Amino acid sequence: MRLAVIGCGGMGTIHASLAARCGFEVVACGDSRLDKAKALAEQHNAEAADDCLALVKRPDVEVVAVATPTPTHGAYVRAAAEAGKHVFCEKPFTRTPEEGEETLAAVKRSGVKLLVGHVVRYFQEFEAIRERVQNGSIGKVGFVKTYRGGIYPRGEGAWFHDYAQSGGVVFDSSIHDLDWIRYVFGNPTRVYCQALQRSDPLDYGMVTMWFDQGLITHTIGTWAHPGGFRVKVEVCGDQGMVTLDSKEAPISAMMRETAGGGPSMIVPGSPVPVSPYQLEWEDFAAWMRDGRTPRVQPEDAVWAVRIAHGALESARTGAPVAL
Amino acid sequence: MAKIGIMSFAHMHAEAYAASVNRRSDAQLVAVWDDDPKRGADAAKRHNTRFVDDLDAFLDSGLEGVVITSENVKHRELTERAAAAGLWVLSEKPLATTIEDGKAMIEACRSAGVGLGTAFPCRYIPSIQAVRAELEAGKYGDIYAVTCTNNGQFPGGWFGVEALSGGGATMDHTVHVADLLRWMLGKEFVSVYCENGHLMGRDTALDDVGVLHLEMDGGTIVSHIASWNRAKSFPTWGDVTMEFVGEKGVVEVDAFNQKLNVYDDRTMRAQWAYWGGDPDLGLVSDFIESVNERREPAITGEDGFRALEVTVAAYKSAASRQRVAI
Repeated sequence: MRLAVIGCGGMGTIHASLAARCGFEVVACGDSRLDKAKALAEQHNAEAADDCLALVKRPDVEVVAVATPTPTHGAYVRAAAEAGKHVFCEKPFTRTPEEGEETLAAVKRSGVKLLVGHVVRYFQEFEAIRERVQNGSIGKVGFVKTYRGGIYPRGEGAWFHDYAQSGGVVFDSSIHDLDWIRYVFGNPTRVYCQALQRSDPLDYGMVTMWFDQGLITHTIGTWAHPGGFRVKVEVCGDQGMVTLDSKEAPISAMMRETAGGGPSMIVPGSPVPVSPYQLEWEDFAAWMRDGRTPRVQPEDAVWAVRIAHGALESARTGAPVAL
Repeated sequence: MAKIGIMSFAHMHAEAYAASVNRRSDAQLVAVWDDDPKRGADAAKRHNTRFVDDLDAFLDSGLEGVVITSENVKHRELTERAAAAGLWVLSEKPLATTIEDGKAMIEACRSAGVGLGTAFPCRYIPSIQAVRAELEAGKYGDIYAVTCTNNGQFPGGWFGVEALSGGGATMDHTVHVADLLRWMLGKEFVSVYCENGHLMGRDTALDDVGVLHLEMDGGTIVSHIASWNRAKSFPTWGDVTMEFVGEKGVVEVDAFNQKLNVYDDRTMRAQWAYWGGDPDLGLVSDFIESVNERREPAITGEDGFRALEVTVAAYKSAASRQRVAI
């Protein structure tokens, strides 16, 4: 299928190459910064454009991948849906739950397929934890803790640094864990959050959710570390526990010299046969090819936005937010 | 030579405190009293001292200080009795289970002119002391956020009975870290939001897991997990962890992560054996010195009370689902 990639930064580049590996043909790359579009287009023998809305509507495009800053997702997804294109959209789906609902309605009206990149659902280690919970091996789960983050993202441009646009670490990064927790345990009832959102820039957030079946979850997100990236998970049941720490990896390397001059930090490596990002595209392709229900359904993406947005509202007001 | 007595072996920490007293050359473990005579007599035998069944006789047995390791709700009455007898008091944590009891204990000791200490041995963990020194020296600059845990296995027994413990995991596992935060940052608590409940299926009707969102002076944001969420098969009793996010850097303390990984075919269970310091000895040593020097213990009743306030406010928050001022 013929694919247009909108947003040619870090994630757009990844999605273009993985989509290409899963049978999609990258025909056009769009970015308001034409040089970025050209650089990616060149890798895929595609056309480059800086008018992304026009690109979305091109008749020869069948699928659109949206990897632009969060607040622009909705307009592209709606335009693509209205033009009858299937859509892959990076997370978070939209910046507000209201826009999420509106965009989801447009997708449903047009009958196109929408997959939002909640890629943590495709991470093998997270899936292994989910399977253990589902098969009851640790009994009834009463507490979950997740931790994700490291250095402040040096994303293209400064949009991550603008909390109004990105929502900071809670909305942009912890949303992965909030979505995964909901994937495994169902809908939370209320959410409470504290977040730093400093202009240094430096961000750190703690989100607590309550689930009526008798479960509390605590999600820590950091863009406050001077370096590195780490993920930790702890799931506690009445008959056992499962924990995960990305620091415990099979490969750990440290270079005597780096491009910067001095020696490098220890960089852990945990290679997998197929990257979770590719599994995401394989899932999307299988949905289109065989009608197989994908791991992330459109409603899930709106729910994730609703939770993370509720968390930020709680951080602002100091009160829990009902979901 | 400080003449020390132990009031009740209901709390398992009494074992380490008794052993610590016996390790000091400037103290003597004179007697044990317990409202469970068999428990008290057995403990006295283990620690080479005598058991005194009658409380008045115990208080009149030439003691200078007592360590109170009873069930939480009995701390007040035993403290009042000891203070009235002119004895220095080291109370197990939490100092009390209600604001009223905590205040009464402080007042009883003040008016009797005796010292009152709270058993927060975590202040004597070497890694905690090292990070506190770094924080104080400004190595990490202003501290903006802290995330903490005090997880544990369910201790069972009276800990799960509200009439004796005053509360569940939130009562048991909030005060250590609340005290460390005050002591390490030199700030007081402003407010708390708490979610807790009986969620882990532990053999009690009380909360077995709690999550606290706290604010301290100057806007430092803090989350803390107070739990009995550790599985029976977990390699150790639990943990004390803190991650400080500061202006100049980040520092993580996993206070008991000085451990051997032990694999023992007789138990068929992997275990972590802590080899770090001896925090209980540090705590008891200060108490003995405070008795000998007739001074306040380093960790006061007031410190215990400040940590208790956080716990009481946390329960209020959990019941009202609102942030509560401290």
